[in-house]
Amino acid sequence: MATANIKDVKRRIKSVENTMQITKAMELVATSKLRSAKERAVASQPYFNTLYETMCEIQSDRGFKSIYTKKEFLKTVLVVVLAGDRGLAGGFNHNVLKLAEEKIKSLEKDGRTVKVFPIGKKAVEYFEKRRYEIYSKEYQISENLTMSRAISLSEKVISGFRNGIYDKVELVYTTFVSTLVQNAMSVTVLPIESNDLKDKETEDTKANSTNKDKMKKSALTLYEPSAEEVFDGLIPKYISGLLFCSIVDSYASEQAARRTAMESASDNASEMIDSLSLLYNRARQAQITQELNEIVAGQMGNN
Amino acid sequence: MKPFKLKIVTPEKIFFDGEAEQITIRTTEGDIGILANHIKYVCNIVAGPLKIKDSSSEREAVLSEGILKVSDEGATVLASAVEWADEIDLERAERAKKKAEDILSDKSRADEFGRAEIKLKRALARLSVGQRQV
Repeated sequence: MATANIKDVKRRIKSVENTMQITKAMELVATSKLRSAKERAVASQPYFNTLYETMCEIQSDRGFKSIYTKKEFLKTVLVVVLAGDRGLAGGFNHNVLKLAEEKIKSLEKDGRTVKVFPIGKKAVEYFEKRRYEIYSKEYQISENLTMSRAISLSEKVISGFRNGIYDKVELVYTTFVSTLVQNAMSVTVLPIESNDLKDKETEDTKANSTNKDKMKKSALTLYEPSAEEVFDGLIPKYISGLLFCSIVDSYASEQAARRTAMESASDNASEMIDSLSLLYNRARQAQITQELNEIVAGQMGNN
Repeated sequence: MKPFKLKIVTPEKIFFDGEAEQITIRTTEGDIGILANHIKYVCNIVAGPLKIKDSSSEREAVLSEGILKVSDEGATVLASAVEWADEIDLERAERAKKKAEDILSDKSRADEFGRAEIKLKRALARLSVGQRQV
């Protein structure tokens, strides 16, 4: 009995050790990927900020309408969902997909047709299984999505909007708050709400009073061929920038979530190994005691 | 000539941050040159060559579409991609050109024409700048 138990426990310790090796390795991989993802996110900031500033400046200069700001009756909505390619990242995929589904349900309740544009293998699988109307499955792999891919992605999104296939675009993704906290959230990409721009701008000016002077000065800026055309030309760049930033953001979140999940898995494994070793030692001791007992009993029997 | 501050930014990195005396850049309205003390100016740029001249040398790069912004602080170029002329991957550009042309010659893919056209322009810009270099 005792021998069988020892063998069992030993085998379990071995198997937990193997699992721990894997989770440990995954943790290390996720840590290094997280670092490079963070660097990419930081590197994309100056581009996006300047773009955003310029857009705000044009918007504050003159009020006008653009096809990207029009607001008509919204009938069809495209929901872009960014998730990961692989599991084992804690609640990362689950959270963002859950939020996306809630969003879709509430849009459908309002009588709108919803098309889903999943990015990342997990998102594609999820929405295919649940038979949602899928706009495109072109972007199965979300890992290492380069800028040029992000541009063609945004061109696809924009061309559908311009051709009237849908009249609103929502983006659901995970934003990286810190290594421990990642939030799933949704934002409206198109149409651009001019209030959005203005609100942010007033916040900015409140925060930084010199900004206000800048805004006034920008009225003297020369736009070629015209402010409207510059603005319309800017929008696709703004959107590809926005998409690129969220892809990088979501990727960083995935790695952070995986790192945390794997860290706790490794911790659990080592805890398990500890308690199993205790069990093993006890069983071993019990075996020795029993053997001794048998020897002593045998001796006594001889005498 | 008087130098001014020039910054070229892509989503992946800050490509150039320094001083230049003159830049020549292709916009939707044609090629324009920017010197120091230019008035405030914003325009869209298309895929094409970019020449940066400073006191000693002239360098050429190729830009994808983006915007040019000139303010009191200097000029800022935002582009989705930038490469120095000697860093251009001609083979890749050739492939991209071929792919775009295939799409454009196939009438059944009319909805992709807009995107293919932009790609073709990018590839052509790369090829023309890159081949001049060789």
